[in-house]
Amino acid sequence: MRLAESLSIGACTAPSRMMFGPHVTNLGDDDRSFTDRHVAYYERRARGGCGIVVVEGASVHASDWPYERAPLADRCADGWKRIVSACQPHGSLVIASLDHAGGQGSSAYSQLPLWAPSRVPEVNTREVPKWMEEADVAAVVDGFGRAARSAVASGLDGVEINAGQHSLVRQFMSGLTNHRGDRWGADRLEFARDVIRVVRASVGSALVGLRLSCDELAPWAGITPEMAPGIAADLCSLGVDYVVVVRGAIFSSEKTRPDFHESTGFNIDVCRAVRAVVPASTAVFLQGSVVDAGQAEWAIGDGVCDGVEMTRAQIADADLMAKVRRGDVDRVRPCIRCNQTCQVRDARNPIVSCVGDPSSGHETRDPQWDVAASTSRRVLVVGAGPAGLEAARVAATRGHAVTVVESGVVGGVAAVAGPGGPLVEWLVRECERAGVQIRAGVASDEWSRLVPQHDAVIQATGSRRGDVDYTVVDGVAVHDIADVRRGVSALPNSGRVAIIDPIGGPIAVALAEQLGDRAVLITPDNIAGNELSRTGDLAPANVRLAQRGVTVEKRSVVRAVEPHADGASVRLQDRFSGELRTIVVAAVVDAGFRLPTEPLPVERVLSAGDCVAPRTLYEAVLEGRRAARAV
Amino acid sequence: MAYKYLWTPLQLGPVATRNRIVFSAHLTNYARNGLPTEQHAAYYAARAAGGAGLIITEEHSTHPTDWPYEKLIHGFHRDVIPGYKRITDAVHRHRVPIFAQINHNGGQASSMFSRLPVWAPSPVADPLFREVPKAVTHAEIDEIVAGYATVAEHCAEGGFDGIELQCSHSSIVRGFLSPATNKRTDEYGGSLTNRARLLLEIVAAVRGVIGNRLALGVRLCGDELIENGTTIDEAVEVSRLVEASGHVDYINTSIGVATASLFMIEASMHIPPGYAMFIPSAIRKAVDLPVVGVGRFKDPLQAERALAEGHCDLVGVVRGQIADPDFAAKARAGATDEIRLCLSCNQECVGRMGLNRWLGCIENPRTGREHEWAVTDHVALTAKPKDVMVVGAGPAGLQAAIAAARRGHRVTVYEKENVAGGQVRWAASVPNRAEFGDVIRNQLNECRRLGVAINFGTGVWPGLVDEKRPDHVIVATGAEPQRPWWVADPDADESARRVVDVRAILDGSAPLGGPQSGDSVVVVDEIGFHHATSVAELLADRGCAVEIATPGMVVGQDLGITLDMENWWIRASAKGIVQSTDLVPMGFADGELTLLHHPTGANQTRRPDWVVLAVPPSPVEWLYNDLKSSGVSVERVGDCVAPRRAHAAVVDGERAGSSI
Repeated sequence: MRLAESLSIGACTAPSRMMFGPHVTNLGDDDRSFTDRHVAYYERRARGGCGIVVVEGASVHASDWPYERAPLADRCADGWKRIVSACQPHGSLVIASLDHAGGQGSSAYSQLPLWAPSRVPEVNTREVPKWMEEADVAAVVDGFGRAARSAVASGLDGVEINAGQHSLVRQFMSGLTNHRGDRWGADRLEFARDVIRVVRASVGSALVGLRLSCDELAPWAGITPEMAPGIAADLCSLGVDYVVVVRGAIFSSEKTRPDFHESTGFNIDVCRAVRAVVPASTAVFLQGSVVDAGQAEWAIGDGVCDGVEMTRAQIADADLMAKVRRGDVDRVRPCIRCNQTCQVRDARNPIVSCVGDPSSGHETRDPQWDVAASTSRRVLVVGAGPAGLEAARVAATRGHAVTVVESGVVGGVAAVAGPGGPLVEWLVRECERAGVQIRAGVASDEWSRLVPQHDAVIQATGSRRGDVDYTVVDGVAVHDIADVRRGVSALPNSGRVAIIDPIGGPIAVALAEQLGDRAVLITPDNIAGNELSRTGDLAPANVRLAQRGVTVEKRSVVRAVEPHADGASVRLQDRFSGELRTIVVAAVVDAGFRLPTEPLPVERVLSAGDCVAPRTLYEAVLEGRRAARAV
Repeated sequence: MAYKYLWTPLQLGPVATRNRIVFSAHLTNYARNGLPTEQHAAYYAARAAGGAGLIITEEHSTHPTDWPYEKLIHGFHRDVIPGYKRITDAVHRHRVPIFAQINHNGGQASSMFSRLPVWAPSPVADPLFREVPKAVTHAEIDEIVAGYATVAEHCAEGGFDGIELQCSHSSIVRGFLSPATNKRTDEYGGSLTNRARLLLEIVAAVRGVIGNRLALGVRLCGDELIENGTTIDEAVEVSRLVEASGHVDYINTSIGVATASLFMIEASMHIPPGYAMFIPSAIRKAVDLPVVGVGRFKDPLQAERALAEGHCDLVGVVRGQIADPDFAAKARAGATDEIRLCLSCNQECVGRMGLNRWLGCIENPRTGREHEWAVTDHVALTAKPKDVMVVGAGPAGLQAAIAAARRGHRVTVYEKENVAGGQVRWAASVPNRAEFGDVIRNQLNECRRLGVAINFGTGVWPGLVDEKRPDHVIVATGAEPQRPWWVADPDADESARRVVDVRAILDGSAPLGGPQSGDSVVVVDEIGFHHATSVAELLADRGCAVEIATPGMVVGQDLGITLDMENWWIRASAKGIVQSTDLVPMGFADGELTLLHHPTGANQTRRPDWVVLAVPPSPVEWLYNDLKSSGVSVERVGDCVAPRRAHAAVVDGERAGSSI
């Protein structure tokens, strides 16, 4: 495969054409330097065959402290050295990302004003930055040079200048954010050119990369895909060895690594256009929700690019390239683009991880799951949701003889709600490959007879419908959203449907989107889908709901559901005014919190996932592993 | 005023306090990697040096399943002990006792950091964290109790004088006590005796390990302010059970549930001081143990009165001592006016906690940085005193003057208006926001104490700088309203004269509202803080029909951070204020306001009598630019750098003034 071939870039050769792009990990420490956790995280991807590892961005100047654990280049030399020592033995190129978030940063940690080309408020915090004075501009340009010298002196193969999302360089280039009347505004590319020139002069023969936003998704003033090739050609002629084509800007920070609601490969057209105009000596990388090796291979073969950034795909499966090389593409653990735990630009500082591989980001802490067991045992797993399947997969990999029994259908709630389908399919394939017997439609009295034939039992029976805190008057049905998703409960084909969503998660929002103007989404919050902010889908979800005509009843709690000639009447109360009102709908769906299923009447049972406490895919998979290891 | 009670010593079991002022437990986010730090030690020591009678630390977690926020102290690790010793030594140096609060947050948590199921009495999801917890088994209950005992041992070894069990606003013990979260049918659920079983088991276990050397307190929630939650009668019953155990030396109180009704726990200035007094008052009538009262105690006279009226035996003053570590010492010395009064604005203390940031204070730049600054008010005097001119007496200019004068410079402030405060005086002129003005009162008091000269009614132009020849100029000229691009030129379109900034409402220059005026007003909120909401309230109170339109997903989005959101909604509902979201103003001409509903791309129009703008102002920077280009030694601070909030102004001013 072309993807697995080496790629010459400048004076270097990448062993494969797959890049692990820079991203926030929160693996850093309080001193803004890299840690052993970073080293292990990147080493794991290098070991898996990644061609180019671009390390988490480092701020080139103390005026930039965009998130609490953001590395500061002045403190990164030692960490860069350790990352290089760990990764280069595997052949990977290791690149430092050099950053300044400008007006998209935060003053919370630095207690300093934000610096930006012009006074455009940060979109979320609405903090107004300081327009940079001449000395400030010089200080940042100088910072890029100093950081580049330090990176190369630390043994890195090169540096990558961030002119993509969260970047001062892009803010200078864009009419959205640069309203200056001086020379930095007269030619908006001048700042980027200065930075590139200084960096080029600072790194000798090492690589200079450029991460370039080629579509700011704000055509009224921003960089458009039509403008991007010209910008790329101009900047790359200054000695840029590679360019990564990305998109997004101040109004669209969630569009740079969007979740599954966006299509994959959305930068293909603009990337092809950039490839056509930049010098042949500049390698072009495609970025943008490319999570499938087949699409990456196609893009290289079709002349879209020379290499592909596949960041989330390698968070999901660190051995992605190794599997591609072995011809085991179908064994790659899929990235489902859920963004649930890898999207960690979040004030709480969650650690980067993956619902499919919860040990991502925890390389130094989690055990090796698949070490062979000292004795092979017969393991019965009850429940074929993600927790049960992962438990079975890991137990079988360890050498146990595993049977999975499932009373319903394989995959649990994950198979019918949310983007987890491909992960469930992968788990099933891997289980089968490992010799796991999966038996669906097995009633409880049947499998309980199997217990004595096994040495260990893992319960992964999932959740059941929760109790509701409103009155349901006799004669009216309130459907469980899981049953609706499973097809057990049918909704009427016409009339409005009330969806009661005290959680604010993705499942109720998805049903509301599907029902469109028939849906009435009832939330206690000020915003629909309140918990979606973590994945970046909060604003997009609300846009989709509005576009599809969904009625959102905000700040509302349900007091009662009563029978009505047209279906049901739902009594709502405003959380703040106390005002009561009634809406009449054809059907009512409850999307509230679920309850664990009852413990199995078996001695010394191990348990995993929703039957412990109904939570998400992440906990299900993690606890599946832990149970398998405890066998 | 003569204090009769506040300075009276009190015995809490084996521990004597020198007065009745408690720096009670509160989160700080100063921990690193689960361990207490030098930042903690210096922070608590500053309050001990400042005269507090008793310090109670933030919570120490008792079990690995409890990790609701990143910077929690993991008391269950023995590694905490050296940090404990640093804290207790630093506080004991001032002969002040210090207690450790120990806790398990129970279901008021998520598994984000622990990667373990959250433990609770029943699988009832917390309204904030929204994660269904695991109902604990009897073996796990034993483990919880053992965890408290282990941590109590660590605390004893670390030199603490007492232990407080946080059974109040965020605790597994409250989870068991409350019928809202305890749905158990075993001996830990149902009757109050059963629901209190865990509490009493923990009390006995902790007393068992600390013996009589340390004091033991229990903090109880007097009213959860949630549906089906605990209310005062039951809290009084629990107090009786606690006292009857014979193991406990005092009872502390609180109100609300941290993850449901936090806005009533750390109430902002909209809630009257002393609002939670009914709780200690009721409990004190029922038990003989000393009782601590809390709830927005801002000044020592109010604290004295609470004691005099018999509501409580000790008074918790948290934010008051965050703002001024010397609160108690100044009160005791009769210098009440010198106390830097807390504003209850919640911007940099409470507001930073939920965002996982270290605790600070809007008006005290040293809060949380005590380990970097000198602990006392003494800062090295400069060897070369300079003449410093400060232009502007808003919070930035006044803080610059204070910081420079503290270092021994000769400081003169010039203010073009006849009063100090800049935008703060407008911010403080709206309903229920008067306390915000205390920041200026406090700064003026400090200026007076430090001998800073303030010339009111004196604008500064380059010629005056030439004439006065200061060694250094600090420009703090603030920001002025700007007309956004989408508003027609009022010279060409007379209707645009009815588009005014919030400041024009507050300074009275825009003649809208008034009895029976019935004016209709659209307030455009592009800032997301008190600007729009406060003015909307003011106008609604004046009889206007008010709508707030914002491009954001909520009006006043940052009111959530300062815990002002819930009460804003309650007041806005009562006043009939309409709140419209996702609307981007696109034009105002011929009396018509055009708003783009950005999710759908549909335009909406309004024809209000007035449009009021809450939009970022424009920095007044000409003086800075002029002086800089003519080679004067000059720096600028506050909104004339970039229009931000008061804290940024204070921090800028402090930095500029102290670095001369």
